[in-house]
Amino acid sequence: MDAELPYSLSNVADLPGHEDRAWNVAWNPVKPILASCSADKNVRIYAYTEDLRFKHLDSIPTGHAKTVRSVAWAPSGQTLATASFDANIGVWEKESEVDEAGIDQGEWECISTLEGHETECKSVAYSCNGTYLASCSRDKTVWIWEVLPDAEFETVSVLMEHSQDVKCVAWHPTEEILASASYDDTIKLYIEDPSDDWFCFTTLSGHSSTVWSIAWSPVGGYLASGSDDKTVRIWRRIAEHKWECVLVLTGHDRSVYSVSWGPGKDDKRKGKEGEHLGWLATTGGDGKVMIWEVEEPTVKEGETPSMSKPPDHRLVACLNAAHDVHDVNSVVWCPRKGYEDLLATTGDDGHTKVWKIAPSA
Amino acid sequence: MAFSGALTLTDLNDFITPSQACIKPVEQTNKPSKEEEKEPGAASTEILIDSSGAYYEVSSDPKNSASSSTGGPTQKLHQAQISLNDCLACSGCITSAESVLITLQSHTEVFNFLEENELAETSKVPVISIAPQSLASLAAALTSSSSTSSHAPVTSRQILRRLHPFLKSIGFAYVFDTNFARHIALREHIAEFLERKERDSPEAEGQLPMLASACPGWICYAEKAHSEMLPFISQTKSPQQVMGTLVKEWMAKKWDRGPDSVYHVTVMPCYDKKLEASRQDFYNDIYSTRDVDCVITTGELELMMKERGWDIDHAVPGELDDLHLEDEDPLLPELVQHSGTSSGSYLHSIIDHLRVSSPVPLSLSVKMIRNADYEEYTLVEELEDGPGKVVFKGAKCYGFRNLQNIVRKVGKERGLRTGGGAAGRLSGRAVGLRRGKKAATTADGREDKERDKRYDYVEVMACPGGCVNGGGQLKPRLPTTTSTRDEEGHERNWEESGASVDGIMQTNAKWGDKEWTKKVEEAYWRDKVRHKMPPTPPDTPPPSRLEATLDADAVADQILQGLDEEARQRWFRTSYRAVESDVVGLAVKW
Repeated sequence: MDAELPYSLSNVADLPGHEDRAWNVAWNPVKPILASCSADKNVRIYAYTEDLRFKHLDSIPTGHAKTVRSVAWAPSGQTLATASFDANIGVWEKESEVDEAGIDQGEWECISTLEGHETECKSVAYSCNGTYLASCSRDKTVWIWEVLPDAEFETVSVLMEHSQDVKCVAWHPTEEILASASYDDTIKLYIEDPSDDWFCFTTLSGHSSTVWSIAWSPVGGYLASGSDDKTVRIWRRIAEHKWECVLVLTGHDRSVYSVSWGPGKDDKRKGKEGEHLGWLATTGGDGKVMIWEVEEPTVKEGETPSMSKPPDHRLVACLNAAHDVHDVNSVVWCPRKGYEDLLATTGDDGHTKVWKIAPSA
Repeated sequence: MAFSGALTLTDLNDFITPSQACIKPVEQTNKPSKEEEKEPGAASTEILIDSSGAYYEVSSDPKNSASSSTGGPTQKLHQAQISLNDCLACSGCITSAESVLITLQSHTEVFNFLEENELAETSKVPVISIAPQSLASLAAALTSSSSTSSHAPVTSRQILRRLHPFLKSIGFAYVFDTNFARHIALREHIAEFLERKERDSPEAEGQLPMLASACPGWICYAEKAHSEMLPFISQTKSPQQVMGTLVKEWMAKKWDRGPDSVYHVTVMPCYDKKLEASRQDFYNDIYSTRDVDCVITTGELELMMKERGWDIDHAVPGELDDLHLEDEDPLLPELVQHSGTSSGSYLHSIIDHLRVSSPVPLSLSVKMIRNADYEEYTLVEELEDGPGKVVFKGAKCYGFRNLQNIVRKVGKERGLRTGGGAAGRLSGRAVGLRRGKKAATTADGREDKERDKRYDYVEVMACPGGCVNGGGQLKPRLPTTTSTRDEEGHERNWEESGASVDGIMQTNAKWGDKEWTKKVEEAYWRDKVRHKMPPTPPDTPPPSRLEATLDADAVADQILQGLDEEARQRWFRTSYRAVESDVVGLAVKW
């Protein structure tokens, strides 16, 4: 069915184990491991080899009283944060205890819990250099925590900008800009006022329903958002503090629950870098995983370049029924060098699946 | 600029806001009439609203349709009502709903009472007590609205004098400021701190740090979200409630009246003070009366003047005199000053007391932690051979985010489990690891002593900037020309870099404006400057404290003399209780 598309996704691993729906998955940015979380309150850690053999490494019975909705690794790859419907955030590290046989017997320890949200915590994310941790909740707030030594955290801001449940937070890949997406159909971007608190400097409106997920482009000039209105919107930075919607992608038949924007990996494309904005993966309630190739807009001769021009884009791959009949809750590109063609998905079936994108035969 | 005191909570930032829809279940009091046998799913009623705004349920069942022109028998419906006590008892949202407060404790309520009181056969004595932060807000507004710069800035004392004729004209018999009540509260606060310090030992936890109790927003939040903090919160009543007791117990007796024949209104910088006054603890069962009958905000007081066309722009005779002219017997000293913070000087009064009573000279150092709203104060013994031991460590901590950090810090220092318990298992694991790390990192002498000294006292306020920036204060009166560059350079920079300035400029009109708070703060201390006292001297020794409050102490002694220990407790102390969460999380799937 994808015959006419230039790429296709092949299943590399199918990782069952969660006893309830699997919500979210996070690739460790440094080590060859990934973590998934579930309504069964557990986090499962998988390791993979260079030849892409995946095996279950650890299970963390988190102790959260309710669903673990989201997981995020710190940029160092040492620390994992969990966001739970019990309103708390857990921060986890593995104590290294290598035994005589050279096998790490260490256990995952909760080194800190962050309390403050009143109700279900929906998403958690580390800033690009690991200085901050952001979280959001059904209580309509977005919190920014400063990450201090010795597993200490301090609240640096409590942002009450959204009028509804906040679904997702995401940090800019290189700058300290935070984005949040909400049931109030908007996306809000925040920066720190050098003399004071963090503040929302712009609100991106356009979606006609809940914004479930947001992802920055790898270089940071664009932001993608997936919504309950079945569309994906691409927002472009047209001035330092100004963002504008330049493209609306359609194709999903139901809510778009998750978007991920990876740098892309394709040897044939070498030499064209700089224009190449990477691969955008989208998924949702229709069980489809769609991959879009995005490029800076081409400027024809005689044409004046415009910031509002949509990026060149094409659907390069589409996979139906990624988790059979189940909703797909998240899709995440692997951030590690050499593995940019890998992506992981989680579904209501409790499975975590790993896919590899390759040119269609 | 338009006077508007009623600001909505959506204007507030870094503030405890109502978070969820009110969960109070709607009581169904309409019993269905007997004959009615409805088919399942059949919509047989409709709701009508008549000209007076009352709601009626109308049966549209064709069988009954003959009885009225609208189609069926009508039944008046009750409006769902939420009392302040419902808010206090519910954990649905962590603080009060503003709309509830406005309807039940409003300036119209005050007007109504005063009008009825004048006609009543047995009239009550109407008393009004005004908080110093409210006076400062009015002074700042007046100072910045006078167009000519030749005008000298208006002081709180002038405002109080100018309010006097207005408040008398609408029916108040007595007008007070709440500073003297604060003076008593501070004395009681110091006494409680010393009691706790005495009791504090490794076996008797929960004594220190003592946390300030004057901010009702913080009390409400602690009762609903951090019950583990309650033992630490000072049991001394807030100045408002001390004033309530003084008016209803001490003054009423002087006037040969019962507590219930005095009507007491306070003017406060804060909406949550309404909630505080509504607490069951401050209700007199015997006389069925509250210590404070009605609380209005600074903005509402301004609204009252506006509605009556009263202008406080003009000077009144004698407003600059130190002595109060109007009353021969003023009952209470006027505008007692307490140096320290504009939120009540709770921390500073303790520091001053410790320094005055210490046998060894103590040096004070102040360290800013994250911003001006979070500062640490340390008292170190000054010995001949250099600094001695740390005898006191306190902090002032304003605003919701700093408050979070205090809760975390105190919880950790005192080995408490914070939060509602959902994280029980997680915290348990965390402690072991943290201890291990701590032991490895502490080994470098004196500096650690200071760092490791736990807090003895924290002046906690929920509003950033403290009470001068309370939610009930007047809105900023800033020049409307937004093009004028602000003193702070960063705003200009944003503009130059082509940024969208919407977000930044908007905050100028919002509650919590920094420049405006600074102006109110200035106005708060202005009287002091006039009296040639240093504004806030954190590092000068305070032996002059007694001098400044000599009059107040004399009156306070006189009041306290007549009280035995039990009465003193009853008059000036209160207690707190956790509001257990009975909110069952909705079965939300995402």
